Amino acid sequence: MDLTPRPIADAESRAQRQRRRWVPIVIVALALAAGGVVVTQFLTSAIDYYCNVDEVGVRDGCVGQRRIRVQGIVLENSLQQADGVTEFMMSFNNKTLQVRYQGDPGGVFQECIPVVAHGRVVDGIFDSDRIEVKHTNQYVEKNKSRFDEATKETAACSQSPE
Amino acid sequence: MTTTQTTATPATQKLGIATTLALIFLLFSGLIFSAEDVVQGSTVRIMYVHVPSIWVAYLAFALTAICSAVYLSNRSRSLIWDRFAGAAAEIGVLFVAVSLVTGSLWGRLTWGTFWVWDARLTSTAFLFITYVGYLAVRRLGGTFRQRARRSAVMALLAVLEIPLVHFSVNLWRTLHQKASIADPNAKVKLDGFMLFTLFWGLISFTMLFVWLLIHRQRLMALEDAVQDQGLDLAIQQRRTEAGR
Repeated sequence: MDLTPRPIADAESRAQRQRRRWVPIVIVALALAAGGVVVTQFLTSAIDYYCNVDEVGVRDGCVGQRRIRVQGIVLENSLQQADGVTEFMMSFNNKTLQVRYQGDPGGVFQECIPVVAHGRVVDGIFDSDRIEVKHTNQYVEKNKSRFDEATKETAACSQSPE
Repeated sequence: MTTTQTTATPATQKLGIATTLALIFLLFSGLIFSAEDVVQGSTVRIMYVHVPSIWVAYLAFALTAICSAVYLSNRSRSLIWDRFAGAAAEIGVLFVAVSLVTGSLWGRLTWGTFWVWDARLTSTAFLFITYVGYLAVRRLGGTFRQRARRSAVMALLAVLEIPLVHFSVNLWRTLHQKASIADPNAKVKLDGFMLFTLFWGLISFTMLFVWLLIHRQRLMALEDAVQDQGLDLAIQQRRTEAGR
């Protein structure tokens, strides 16, 4: 018994079959691309991880007493730690926000570094229960000259987090 | 007499030795020669594994898509393309896992947390799950050609996630920092030997990928041959039974 598949009758029907095979792939790819546009264009505020300090109480999703995440830079000379409470001022785009955090933030938390604080605004103070340090995309060798380090430290407070 | 088949050739043996030497140098360069970061300290050394790992994963998944496209468009339907696609995807999944684990450790030491559900981390986790799914699809059974066809279609769709993962830090606000060297608009912000070590990591991990890919592809060919042999044997047994 010969079980060899029969050759397709003519070249045109073969081409038609090949075209038919690609149609669902193209449709699914277009659907995915459309989904990507929807996600990037319309759901940005939902996907954004945080509000900036200057958007608190202004931008949709950053208002009221709801729980939010806020990003800003820890202001120089504003950090105070006493009785297990960490307090500091966070700034972004010339707006500042006072933050109170119960405990010692982990990571590389320090002044002049961008942070994301989780919590809610209570009586004008951001009452936070979680702080994450946001590292920039700059990597500077520790053993560079003191001049470079000084420049870096000076620049750190004026940098804008990305 | 038994014959032993190996996946090694003189060329892959040389590549293996070169890769090992490159990785040893990376180890010294990353742990000893390169300096600590002014903010992160020694934690920065994780970057020399984390970044090359995700680079290899992107490369592997792109190769999976290219080989899949070649398989689907080529009239000969040569299964070698399917095997390269499958081998690259397996290695890619391994390296995404390495990238997720090293990133998580770095996050704990720098951010203060192992994981956050921001766009970069979430999309990378989704990429990992997608390609684990791709590998599962390859094992659904059926003939080699059925396996090749369905997995090729999935590979062409899954690769679309890579730009989403890579540009997620630009599209949305994420805790994860933006690219330092893979962003054409950004100035390189890595001090001297850090940059060199990172590039050396990219080169040595790429060599490791090529070495693993060649061996895994050859091993897959042997696995397919064994499966074919098993089928031939089963048919032979049925014929013998029917002839009794």
